[in-house]
Amino acid sequence: MRDDSGKWDRLPAVDAVIDAPGVVIRRVALVRQVLISGPDVLTQIDGPVVEWPGVVEAESYALSLRRDRVLWVNGPEMAEGWDAARNWAVSDVSDGYEVVEIAGAGALALLCRGAEVSLDQPSRSVARLLFGFGAFLYRAGNVQTYRAHVGRAQAGAFWTALEVHLRVSGDV
Amino acid sequence: MSAHRVAGRGRIDADAPLNFSFDGRAFQGRRGDTIASALLANGVRVMGRSFKYHRPRGPWGAWVDDPNAIMNVALNGVELPNCPATTTYLEEGMAARSVNAFPSARFDLKGGLDLFHRWLGAGFYYKTFMWPDWHLFEPMIRRMAGLGAVSDAVLEGYVADQLHDRCEVLVVGGGAAGLVAARSAAEAGQDVCLVEDHAECGGGVWQRAEIEGTAPADWVAAQVAAIVAAGGRVLTRATAFGVFDHRMVGIVENRAFGQAPRLRRMRAGRIVLASGALDRPVTFANNDRPGVMSVDGAGEMLARYGVLVGRRIAVVANNSAARAVLPALVQAGAEVVEVDPAAGPIRVLGAKRIRGLDQGGRRVEADTVLASGGLTPLVHLWRHAGGKLDWCDARQAFIPGRAPEGMVAVGAAAGAFDLESALEEARGVARGGAVEASVSHYHLTPLWPAPGAKGRQWIDFQHDVTLKDVELAARENYVSVEHLKRYTTLGMASDQGKTANMAGLAAMAAIQGRPIPEVGTTTFRPPFVPIPIETYHGAHRGQLWHPLKRLALEEAHRAAGAALGEYGGWLRPGWYGQGDVAQIIAEEVRMARGTAGIFDASPLGKIEVMGPDAEAFVDFVYYNTIRTLKPGHIRYGFLLSEGGAVMDDGVIARVDQDRFVISCSSSHVDGVRTHLEAWRQDGNDPDRIFIHDTTQHWATVTMTGPKAREIVGALGLEVDLSAEAFPHMRLREVVWQGGPLRIARVSFTGDVSFELSIRASRAEELWQALIAAGAPLGAGPLGLEALSIMRAEKGYLIIGKDTDGETMPHDLGFGIPRQKKTVAFIGDRSLHNAKANSTARKQLVGLRVAEGAVMLPTGAHVVEAGTQRSLGYVTSSYDSPTLDRPIALALIEDGVAQMGREVTIWHLGETRRATICGPCAFDPEGERLHA
Repeated sequence: MRDDSGKWDRLPAVDAVIDAPGVVIRRVALVRQVLISGPDVLTQIDGPVVEWPGVVEAESYALSLRRDRVLWVNGPEMAEGWDAARNWAVSDVSDGYEVVEIAGAGALALLCRGAEVSLDQPSRSVARLLFGFGAFLYRAGNVQTYRAHVGRAQAGAFWTALEVHLRVSGDV
Repeated sequence: MSAHRVAGRGRIDADAPLNFSFDGRAFQGRRGDTIASALLANGVRVMGRSFKYHRPRGPWGAWVDDPNAIMNVALNGVELPNCPATTTYLEEGMAARSVNAFPSARFDLKGGLDLFHRWLGAGFYYKTFMWPDWHLFEPMIRRMAGLGAVSDAVLEGYVADQLHDRCEVLVVGGGAAGLVAARSAAEAGQDVCLVEDHAECGGGVWQRAEIEGTAPADWVAAQVAAIVAAGGRVLTRATAFGVFDHRMVGIVENRAFGQAPRLRRMRAGRIVLASGALDRPVTFANNDRPGVMSVDGAGEMLARYGVLVGRRIAVVANNSAARAVLPALVQAGAEVVEVDPAAGPIRVLGAKRIRGLDQGGRRVEADTVLASGGLTPLVHLWRHAGGKLDWCDARQAFIPGRAPEGMVAVGAAAGAFDLESALEEARGVARGGAVEASVSHYHLTPLWPAPGAKGRQWIDFQHDVTLKDVELAARENYVSVEHLKRYTTLGMASDQGKTANMAGLAAMAAIQGRPIPEVGTTTFRPPFVPIPIETYHGAHRGQLWHPLKRLALEEAHRAAGAALGEYGGWLRPGWYGQGDVAQIIAEEVRMARGTAGIFDASPLGKIEVMGPDAEAFVDFVYYNTIRTLKPGHIRYGFLLSEGGAVMDDGVIARVDQDRFVISCSSSHVDGVRTHLEAWRQDGNDPDRIFIHDTTQHWATVTMTGPKAREIVGALGLEVDLSAEAFPHMRLREVVWQGGPLRIARVSFTGDVSFELSIRASRAEELWQALIAAGAPLGAGPLGLEALSIMRAEKGYLIIGKDTDGETMPHDLGFGIPRQKKTVAFIGDRSLHNAKANSTARKQLVGLRVAEGAVMLPTGAHVVEAGTQRSLGYVTSSYDSPTLDRPIALALIEDGVAQMGREVTIWHLGETRRATICGPCAFDPEGERLHA
């Protein structure tokens, strides 16, 4: 039994922003995130499906996670559970993932501190390990703006990892 | 003063003086110098003392091959240990100190040890210091030997930058072959990265008067410019130190002194190895004296740093490459005398200062001896990648043989020691062509250690391994090179045998009368050069070392005075408030038993299983029968491993026909999800079963205690909370404040409990509402420590604490599915083998101590009287505030059959007595649970 409250920093504020030369990091609030699994979900989903290193322009889009799973971002409200008509399993996970945006000319160099990220290596899935955390990484809006969806409970540590690596790298 | 600076030579900036000190004496060097070159320019030759005999040592080589000049270097309050003086670039104000010497390298008090060398051969300490105990002597021996000590000072901000990178072609080595290979590949449109460990590319080119009709400086600049112009990258002061799986090359980039290096993990499509070759030492008597250097090292000192290493130089060499270096030395003003090593045994005269050498009675006056036993290709990275080596008789060296996938060697690293043919090959290979054997003008006369020779002849300079040590090893039957290495420590110094290994294995070959290739080489392992451990460490420290998962309610807990700690990978409240912790926890238990406690149970798993085959699947993965579970109902159950051991427990709720929610243990969520995903694809149709881990989407607040119903009722939910309408083990989904709220009537305390799950972003609203509703009744927040006591009072177990890796469900009192469940489930067969049926299995029971006795220690053993054999152990033990007496749970062999028996408890030499009882000590009839 030990009180380690002081050992762990308080979680960063939701509206915190890291503004460094070449990189701006902030949180993004999304309307909805819905996990959908089904045998043909990648072709059935009514919206653009984002793979790596694609750039999504739309407000509503589906992140391709694996051959039978997407994360539908900002899609319509859906009934949770098993959708027998479409053979879909549906779960609202809007609060399950926090979304961090890393933008700027130095964004890719920073992300390369956390994983073997390459624009020359396409992938059908946006899921990867980033700084040791499970994340969905893709580009949104333009080629220098990256978004990472990270599990809520680890989002604070992910933010810290970005902050520390930015400081250590010095010349991203 | 023999070594000196030659005006107008080298790549240093003569107009940029740098002040520094060595062993307390002040010196001046030039920008572009290494510490070693600056000291040589000042006439300093003794730069260190050897590891064991404390013999005076000067640099043998001019770069990574030097084993002798090792220093502790301080600058601006930062002191780094064991810096190789030949690769550490000089900076203004540096203070270098020799290691393993006191008070200085020049005069070392322990130098007298060398007089006792006859008794200090390889492994002498193992043979000598056997009585009374080796460990009595070990600290003293370690203090006397070894390299520099690490400074006590903490290096603030000394954190390595680590990054991942990719390129199509990685060229290792910026010498002539590397440069043309990189240029050719880049101009062919490939993404090229060239790494060079010096501050400037060029390699051996600087020793030449011209190359391809151009001055070296112009030629090197033109190659670098062409590489960059074609889109390639050139990284200087960067060393490729290892090749790992799938052509991942570790590159360490040295930055300014005192700044941690950068680790670049380069994934290369193809690796062109152009790492060059090293000059081998020649083994003769006193070949370790300061002033005995490699021919190539002397050439480099002159070409790069403008330092002529001697005025009268005796050269002991056997090859054409070494002879090509000599004209430059003569031109710089040295008098050079060549000595034929085949003409008789050689002995160096002089100690700290060389006076010459003796060959069969003939004396050659010299202040410096340069030696070259032939060139050894640097094939370390080749071997890291799994490439084979072939023995080349003509070169008397191991050269790259069968190539590892995606790797090719060029230039001297491939044994192409002639520049012209090396360039031609490198250009072709870089464009994807095959390596073609070229005509070589390089020639040498074999020159290897001669066993039985007189005098002390050094094989490994840094570790003080002599030819006699190799002979001793052979006599004692350490004839394998791997055994030789470990017995004598040959090749285990910080230079990793770059100069020692060939001589060592050649000596062993000669002793055994076997050819060198038959003796073979030792294993080449990364790192190629010594690198700070910080390189591997980087930002993976502090809170990023093992980041805990964080609760959505963390701020609320902090505001309530929670003591946060790690519980199963989460940062969770252990208790609330400050003061006597045991008292606080006891008060929380009394509060929850008396009125109610409000507990943050958010980490509990919420893994959804959906699909038309979901029912069959959960019935298969659970020990208990789940297919009979009705929508809105909840059941407690176990997940087993294939071996039948309990891997997790928890409750499973059926939301509707095709949807289940598994609420597994907080610390097992990731493991359970992986377990389910694996089994989903094994023997099942994965298109009919889907697993969604929604744990972090939900926050769960548990209200437990006699007043729980009343407090939850205050939320104004549209649900009948009465025991009749909402009994134990039921699930309801309602709407609260416009959002979904799941209510599960399950209990981990033995009291009426409601687990309320809400979207994580709304957890604070729910928490505050329950706190507000509970406060007037005396209810408040409940920490994990109090909850642990309450569940133990009830005999509820924690998997991993009250079970071990062999515990089966029937050991915990859950035997019915094992006997009655008819459909297959994971672990089924393992529950019916001889081990599972044994009567000696450890079973979960309770332990009760005599009135007034203190509680048992957790982990204490239950022992057999007389033999003291362990029959089991205490898994949980607490002072129960509810019962006002100690309680304990234990796993004991055949424990259930021994109810009421008094047993002996042993812990750290103390013996206690306790009586075996049922695990449940509180409300065994369950009246409070179902109230």
